Amino acid sequence: MMHKRLLPGLCLGMTLLAGCASGPGGSIYVPAGQSQDNAPPPPTANEPEAAPRASEQPQESPESKASKPAPSYQDESEAISPAAASLVQKADVMLAEGDTRAAISQLERAQRISPRSSKVYFKLAYAYKAENQLGKAEQFALKGLSLAGSDTGLQRTGWHMLADIRRASGNVAGAEQAEARAAAL
Amino acid sequence: MRAMAKSSPKNRGRGNSKKKQRKSPAKQGFRTRFWRVFWRLGLVGLVVLAGWTVYLDAVVTSKFEGRRWEIPSRVYARPLELYDGAAVTTVGLSNELSQLGYTPVRSAREPGTYSRNGRTFEIYTRAFRFSDGEEPARRLRFSVSGDRVQQFRVTAGPDSPVVRLEPIQIGGIYPAHKEDRILIKLSDAPDSFVPALLATEDRDFYQHWGIAPLSIARAMWANVRAGHVVQGGSTLTQQLVKNLYLSREQTLVRKGNEAIMAMLLELHYDKPEILQTYLNEVYLGQAGARSINGFGLASQFYFGESFSHLDLHEVALLVAIIKGPSYYDPRRHPQRALKRRNLVLDLLAQTGKVPADKIAKAKQRGLDVVNKPSYSNARYPAYLDLVRRHLAREYKDEDLKSAGLRIFTTLNPEIQRITEQSVRKTLDRLDGGGKDKTLESAAVVTSRDSGEVLALVGGREPKFAGFNRAVDARRPIGSLIKPFIYLTALSHPDKYTLITPIKDEPFTLVFDDGRRWSPENYEHESHGMVPLHRALAKSYNLATVRVGLDVGIDEVIDNLHKLGLNEPVQSYPSMLLGAINLSPVEVASMYQGLATSGFNTPLRTIREVMTSDGKILSRYGLEVDQVVDPAAVHLVQYAMQEVMREGTGRSAYRYLSSDLGLAGKTGTTNDGRDSWFAGFSGDLVTVAWVGRDDNGPTSLTGATGALPVWANIMSRIPQYGFSPVVPTDVKYEWVDGQQQALTSESCDNARFVPFIVGSEPKDTVNCSGDLTRRVRSWFEGLFE
Repeated sequence: MMHKRLLPGLCLGMTLLAGCASGPGGSIYVPAGQSQDNAPPPPTANEPEAAPRASEQPQESPESKASKPAPSYQDESEAISPAAASLVQKADVMLAEGDTRAAISQLERAQRISPRSSKVYFKLAYAYKAENQLGKAEQFALKGLSLAGSDTGLQRTGWHMLADIRRASGNVAGAEQAEARAAAL
Repeated sequence: MRAMAKSSPKNRGRGNSKKKQRKSPAKQGFRTRFWRVFWRLGLVGLVVLAGWTVYLDAVVTSKFEGRRWEIPSRVYARPLELYDGAAVTTVGLSNELSQLGYTPVRSAREPGTYSRNGRTFEIYTRAFRFSDGEEPARRLRFSVSGDRVQQFRVTAGPDSPVVRLEPIQIGGIYPAHKEDRILIKLSDAPDSFVPALLATEDRDFYQHWGIAPLSIARAMWANVRAGHVVQGGSTLTQQLVKNLYLSREQTLVRKGNEAIMAMLLELHYDKPEILQTYLNEVYLGQAGARSINGFGLASQFYFGESFSHLDLHEVALLVAIIKGPSYYDPRRHPQRALKRRNLVLDLLAQTGKVPADKIAKAKQRGLDVVNKPSYSNARYPAYLDLVRRHLAREYKDEDLKSAGLRIFTTLNPEIQRITEQSVRKTLDRLDGGGKDKTLESAAVVTSRDSGEVLALVGGREPKFAGFNRAVDARRPIGSLIKPFIYLTALSHPDKYTLITPIKDEPFTLVFDDGRRWSPENYEHESHGMVPLHRALAKSYNLATVRVGLDVGIDEVIDNLHKLGLNEPVQSYPSMLLGAINLSPVEVASMYQGLATSGFNTPLRTIREVMTSDGKILSRYGLEVDQVVDPAAVHLVQYAMQEVMREGTGRSAYRYLSSDLGLAGKTGTTNDGRDSWFAGFSGDLVTVAWVGRDDNGPTSLTGATGALPVWANIMSRIPQYGFSPVVPTDVKYEWVDGQQQALTSESCDNARFVPFIVGSEPKDTVNCSGDLTRRVRSWFEGLFE
């Protein structure tokens, strides 16, 4: 039932700009809009070595563009970056060795690199569950789910994990509810 | 004794005149008396000396064995993480490297150097011990293109797809005496260090017992020959005693004390212990009010390297400086310092402990001193103030000042720099370059999903450690309250959707005591029936107060508290127009919940606190807590994006890329006393305030005062746009707002709007306005 409509109306005519590099199903990366050391309006690209800047955007007023105002949202979850994935791997090793605190440290590094990746939050939920901090574990599972979007695989992982955590904390009704959500996918 | 006898002619004279007859026996009696007194005095002197020595002994041992140094705590910025795709500008990277004291070279071959060729960087990182382990020294190669790291490779050292630079030290928490040091062990010393030190300062160190009369004689002879002081006769032990226990005055008593204490020190402790203490104690430079003590810190201060990594020519320079850190300051007097460094190398050569060719090579080297590390406590006073407040919850002041803790904060120095500049430049412009500089400002930038405080500016003069407006200026927030009112309303999808028509017409509330309240719109106009999303986007007061009163003030307050507001709020209707006093940091904390899917994410300035030997004392990890309905938050986010595209915040897109998908809200209080803007992108939540300290009026609104500050900050930081993931129970539909009906995308007045599933309109309208009433309404359907 999700629309496959990603960022309607945006990115038009922006293909040449470095700013339009978006990750798979992800948000758009926007480089700094102007010279680092200059006062703001109007935008001028006077830093010779700077990359093509978003300041080169057409000087069209937002109203004219807004005949069909385009909300920015997305249905898909964002992929984890390879750098963050390598830290998650490191954390996996630490978790296997029982060094949960160090693992959480690495996962938080990964979170700062890929703050919109469900996977990182699910791992944090897993790590806190291992520490028997079930309240935190549940919240990180919910955070991961909030970013899972239309990815049923990620949703399933999240709901099952939430069910486990809730069962461990004695919340049977909540666990069953989560399991039902997983089953409905 | 002879001198005594001679020095008493008066006594003799008197004796002569009065007792002439008994001349000889009197003389004898005097001598006996004299000797008696002399011995007694001598004995008393000895006893006093012995007592004094015992006292000095107690001083020496207690001070030496107790905690010898108060080590200040060090405060670090966040470490810069480098990996493919990392958001970095060439300017930001260059600033980071310069603040870390990396030397630009043609080819980076040793830690602490880097080379840059256009967009391509080669950095040889320094090793650094983080709480989760050592980050080894590595050589990295990558380019910076489109404000992000690309083609990242590790070309020397252990491979890794992500590498941290060591963090910039942004400040310290110092003991009253302002001595700063990094403790080192004797075993950390490079091989050539001890021979160079002893050859220069104390050749007989391993032989003497605290003082060396021969050295003193030798020094005196050398000084006499030279005609001025060229050599000191003090042993290292004496120098240490002087530094540890004594004042700097040059008196005979002090010299005596120094000699006694030096011998006592030698009596109690062995040579390596004394040497190690000396290494950590010796004064080697000055950075403002802070004194640089010990070779550990001096290595960082002069070379940006750890003591154990110093090369021979660097070792020699540090030894050279001991004699006069100010006179031989290698930054101010490079020639003098170079001359003495080479003298040290010559003295070392004489010992034969270092091969002559190595000495010759070292003499060819430059001083290789890095630029003075630019950090000082004066650099980020507002941010450090917030850090100290957070620390004060768990740590005692005296521990922070003396226990050598390492505090890892979340400060992003580049974003801080941009924020400071944006505040200053925008305010200068708002003043119109006039002399009246009473306009003030504060800003805070946080990381959207982690709640880390990345930058904090407490006033337009950020180096001035005065009133920290970002934390302490609690001002009415005006329309910044509105998203929370609409959030409360949209949490009732049976009553409110984004297209629900709201009446924006004047009305008067009459209270029980007869007082009347008639809210007004900013422009004193009313707008008839407006859809809910526009009421927020255009910040209509009348419509908002109606909605707020309908859902209930207490429910709005309840949501504020859920989203992290700790202050009690009075349940007056005027709170619906923002009659709540909050600081910019408190506002940022509450907007965090709107920026994420309803997760309360407490703001943090500290990641962890470590002891000096690497043990973690506290971790302040990421915390999230889902407190409000993510579907309702998504709807509010839509309306806040509309604020930026079509509403009161739209001027921001004049200098911001529309790809940022920004969401925000303006706030203005009566007579422009407070101008606010709060908003977010994919990565950042930023809040800016502009106003006057005396709460005086301005001609500004949220859009003309705080928004330019905010937009200026956001435009200069590379970041991801805001593109929230649609919650599962939210669905987008093309609707005709006027007709409250679904419509076709191709119709002129079609608008793509999110609804909580089940609350979308059931009727359909075509482009020419013909309505097809389908079924009944969703709401009626519920009761069938």
